Amino acid sequence: MSTTTPSPAVDIARRVTQHKLFWPVVALLVLLVAAGVRSPGFLSVTVQDGHLFGQVIDIMRGAATPLLLALGMALVIATGGIDLSVGAVMAISLAVSLEYLDASSSAGEPATAVVAVALGVAVALVLGLFNGFMVTVLGIQPFIATMILMVAGRGIAMLITKGQITTVTAPPFKHIGSGFFLGLPMPVIIAAVAFVVVVLVVRRTALGMLLESIGINREASRLAGVQARNVTWFAYAVSGLLAGLAGLVYGAPTMAADANNIGLMKEMDAIMCVVLGGTSLAGGKFYMGGTVVGALILTTIERVVIIFHIPSQLTPLFKAVVIIAVCIAQSPVLLQKINMSRLRRASRRQAEIANQEVPA
Amino acid sequence: MTTVTAPRTPSTTPTWKKVLRRASDRRYMPVAGSVLTLVLMLVIGEMRYGGSNGFVTPRLLSNLLVDNSYLLVLAIGMTFVIITGGIDLSVGAVVALTGLVIATLLPMGLPLPVVLLVAVLIGSVMGLIIGVMVQYFHIQPFIASLGVMFLARGLANAVSVNSLGIDHPGFSALVSWNISVGEKSQQFKLNAAGLIALVLLAVAFYLLHYSRFGRTVYGVGVGDGGNAIDLMGLRTGRTVLWVYVISGTCAGIAGILFAMYTKSGFNLTGIGMELDAIAAVVIGGTILTGGGGYILGTAVGVAVYGLIQVLISREGLGEAWWTKIFIGVILLAFVILQRFLTARRR
Amino acid sequence: MDQREPVVEMTGITIEFPGVKALDGVDFRLYPGEVHALMGENGAGKSTLIKALTGVYAINGGRIVVDGVERSFNNTSEAQEAGISTVYQEVNLVGNLSVAENVMLGHEPRVGPFINWRAMRAKAREYLDRLHVDVHPGTELSSLSVAVQQLCAIARATVVDAKVLILDEPTSSLQKNEVDELFAVVRELKERGVAILFVSHFLDQVYEISDRMTVLRNGKLVGEYMTAELPRLELVSKMIGRAEDELGSIEERAHRVAAATHDTAPRVQALGLGKEGRIEPFDLSIYPGQIVGLVGLLGSGRTEAARLLYGADRPDHGELRLDGETVRLHTPNAALRHDVAFSSEDRKREGIIGDLTVRENIALAVQTVRGVWRRVPKKEVDEIVERYMKALNIYPNNPNMLMKNLSGGNQQKVLLARWLATAPEVLILDEPTRGIDVGAKAEVQRLVIELADRGMSVLFISSEFEEVLRVSERVRIVRDHVMGDELINGPEVTPEVLIERIARTPADGEGEAA
Repeated sequence: MSTTTPSPAVDIARRVTQHKLFWPVVALLVLLVAAGVRSPGFLSVTVQDGHLFGQVIDIMRGAATPLLLALGMALVIATGGIDLSVGAVMAISLAVSLEYLDASSSAGEPATAVVAVALGVAVALVLGLFNGFMVTVLGIQPFIATMILMVAGRGIAMLITKGQITTVTAPPFKHIGSGFFLGLPMPVIIAAVAFVVVVLVVRRTALGMLLESIGINREASRLAGVQARNVTWFAYAVSGLLAGLAGLVYGAPTMAADANNIGLMKEMDAIMCVVLGGTSLAGGKFYMGGTVVGALILTTIERVVIIFHIPSQLTPLFKAVVIIAVCIAQSPVLLQKINMSRLRRASRRQAEIANQEVPA
Repeated sequence: MTTVTAPRTPSTTPTWKKVLRRASDRRYMPVAGSVLTLVLMLVIGEMRYGGSNGFVTPRLLSNLLVDNSYLLVLAIGMTFVIITGGIDLSVGAVVALTGLVIATLLPMGLPLPVVLLVAVLIGSVMGLIIGVMVQYFHIQPFIASLGVMFLARGLANAVSVNSLGIDHPGFSALVSWNISVGEKSQQFKLNAAGLIALVLLAVAFYLLHYSRFGRTVYGVGVGDGGNAIDLMGLRTGRTVLWVYVISGTCAGIAGILFAMYTKSGFNLTGIGMELDAIAAVVIGGTILTGGGGYILGTAVGVAVYGLIQVLISREGLGEAWWTKIFIGVILLAFVILQRFLTARRR
Repeated sequence: MDQREPVVEMTGITIEFPGVKALDGVDFRLYPGEVHALMGENGAGKSTLIKALTGVYAINGGRIVVDGVERSFNNTSEAQEAGISTVYQEVNLVGNLSVAENVMLGHEPRVGPFINWRAMRAKAREYLDRLHVDVHPGTELSSLSVAVQQLCAIARATVVDAKVLILDEPTSSLQKNEVDELFAVVRELKERGVAILFVSHFLDQVYEISDRMTVLRNGKLVGEYMTAELPRLELVSKMIGRAEDELGSIEERAHRVAAATHDTAPRVQALGLGKEGRIEPFDLSIYPGQIVGLVGLLGSGRTEAARLLYGADRPDHGELRLDGETVRLHTPNAALRHDVAFSSEDRKREGIIGDLTVRENIALAVQTVRGVWRRVPKKEVDEIVERYMKALNIYPNNPNMLMKNLSGGNQQKVLLARWLATAPEVLILDEPTRGIDVGAKAEVQRLVIELADRGMSVLFISSEFEEVLRVSERVRIVRDHVMGDELINGPEVTPEVLIERIARTPADGEGEAA
């Protein structure tokens, strides 16, 4: 029995701190506590009008849209690609839905709302499939392919709304954005359901592992029989679909489709959520749970900025600095240096253990 | 000791043969395509809107230059970056940032030349950041420039969320300066922005085609990570860094030109402008994956871009969204064409 | 000849990388006006030595003296300025630039700050003419054949007035007549007093063009010899060495003797399968339960042949038959679905998925055959993982460890587990025991034999002849991209026999059935 095995407490402590979610969760807690201190009552949750109410609930509601975008973005990033068109897809799906409602005679009916939603999401799915087609079949670099849709897509959205801001009155549709279910805001419910579905699809099937495999070592994956095309195509399709859903959730409270502005810069938010959650922008392993924490951190930052009376116009700058810092921290150069020292420690430990094993 | 060989007699191939050989060189095919596109569009324009004055007039060319001089400068910088196989997605944000900086600094009483210099340098610094991330941290260019794009937008937002008008005598004088020749539809007007753009075009032409630096830029783009030219003894690392600085500087200059065009600074300017620049460069025959491209081709690409807008508005589709859609479609077409051509090559 | 001063003298060169000594006290001398061949297998240290001379690697020990002056090169420019030029196997010129630029870049004629294009083309033409290369200087380099590109690379070397010209595998992609042209140029340079360092695995060519040879093995110097005084067979022996040193004391050589007859159709049969520039069309048959060994020098085409059988590369010629039926295995996925598995020799680039766990790495190929949507049940994966981790003695015994944290040998075992887990009918193993410790090597060999006894067809490729002879029923020789004789294993087939077969040239007459 060697005397160098660490005590159970140290071991657990190490496992916890080295867990991918550790630092993001800590950051979130720090932000929440700071806000709670600065603004007493920040963390309080009450029940009003039959549903939960409070700043924390607002944060959750605000995190729904970025989370929906980020869930799809994470899958695409895992393959080593990117989807810059999510903001434009949001605008298009919302425009399609609201135009449909506007043209419909029974906008107030729940059935019509359902059709509108289905339409918006279907169009978004088609756009996602188109992105996937450009990237996997035509072999166009992801950033160019999705950037084309980013710009042209906004044009399409404006075309659909003919340059106007389409406003419709349709309570069932609006319910998606401003309603409540089981006491929680609808956006939160929708995002939660989407999260569960995506996680099931990704982790219950082999999809997640294959996406990661492609992103980590494409050639080895190919030789192991991975069909990169289908898997990657699927990732872009999901990203499109979720972006469509996000557009509806985002626009439903205001019931106004401003094709010019909706979804602007949202891809930055999505990328930030993904990256804060521990996924590397270069591809490979991705973390769904981390992405949720990332979305919460994002929205909490926005709240904290208000509470601390920091001018909100500084928020994008702050987000940008965080993204660049994380990029550099994730860069291969830095990772190599960290790995070298970790490998040395690991091999030293292995050698120690091997030396102490009773020879066979 | 090298033996002296008798000098070869100067080539007696007739010029037309030389031109033909040049024209059929595979490398010129994309540019030939662009020139063809340009000519085609001019012909279509002439046929449809010729009318009494004709379509292709000095006035048309003058307007093209006036309206697109900022884009030409952006595209020039982008050409260098794309030839190395990289990309710069930050240029639109830098344009917005510089416009706001100018609009903020001028009322503070700083002299115009200083303000303009600061504006350009901001662009250079942004480009430098990208270059460092790409060259020393081995971060992919699209990620690095995306990050700096967010940074520049963030900074722009921090400066002001409202549009700021620029009302400064020196600046206004610069805006209204021009040389014009001819009358009415035959009039050709050259303004300060156009002049700057053309000068930059000449400088870029020299840099890319007549200097060792330019050759190294091509060498980096050949796709082996700069390995070949490293072995040739050329300085890859510095070149990559400089290429992004050039692009950033051009973005700064373009920001000045755009501010002159709109006489204001606004944080939401330039969204999607990087795609316009990329489109102009790609339409002009530069291969998106790197290794090939010509500055004059980029100029043709900008002309095609400007002409698209003219034709669209003449056609009655003047609304903003048609331009976006058309540019997207045309860029996609050219990108697919390039994929096809390069796949064949291999 | 030895009265002259060497233009390059390297003594006691040592280069170390984390965990491995790439060069250990190597001496090397190069005289002006001679062609000196550097011989050794891949991994022997040839390219490391060259990179030390050309300034790519820094040396940890020893000294380099060029033209009587001790030098230490910090980068490639310094080496070039010292007169050392290299022409690489992949040419390493800039394909999208013109011939003139590639030849003259770095020494362009100028007018003020401007490059003088006309003068550049004229100058380039001069240098090319001197080597009797007829090509228009304005031509884009990548539109020319590899042979001409190489000559342009050599022309570039003359521009910088190289004293030393290193040719690294220059003939791999050349036809016979192009090789003759190249050698003519090399002789011309020799006349001019240039020292030429020639690296090639084509023994015929080495014997044709070189005056002197230096042999390396495992990072150490074996010796320096005059070409005329070293018979081919001895050369190959020295290059390959006695691999069984690593296996410790060997009792007696085991030879796998064939089962009596094979009355069924071959499990896998290649007919005229080939790929341009990689491997000439070949025929190969493996019967159920049969292990066929494949030997040859690295680069001889053995891996290329294996890849064609698996669908990792697309063949240009021929067909593949499984159980008598023609199949088209154009992707690895198709191969796996046909129960064919392939373990690559380049585990880093083609095998290891570093950020995934050992468990995921083992289960990967099984999963891809199942498809994307139907996940292999946890219980099944657990069972597979446990079985192979025990059978191959994978250490540490923790399936949730990240693949990248394992030692090289254990990574290799995990990769083997990946392929074995698919229960293939045809298993192609390319250097399966590379990096694995002695005890485990024996385990792997025993496992392979056991699988064959249960009916698996195996193609076993290895540089260690002992190992090949221990497991194989038959052995094929691959030489210079041509699949050659087949030997039936028996007590009389020794590693020496294999070496001799590899060293044999077409001129020596083709083999008799052994």
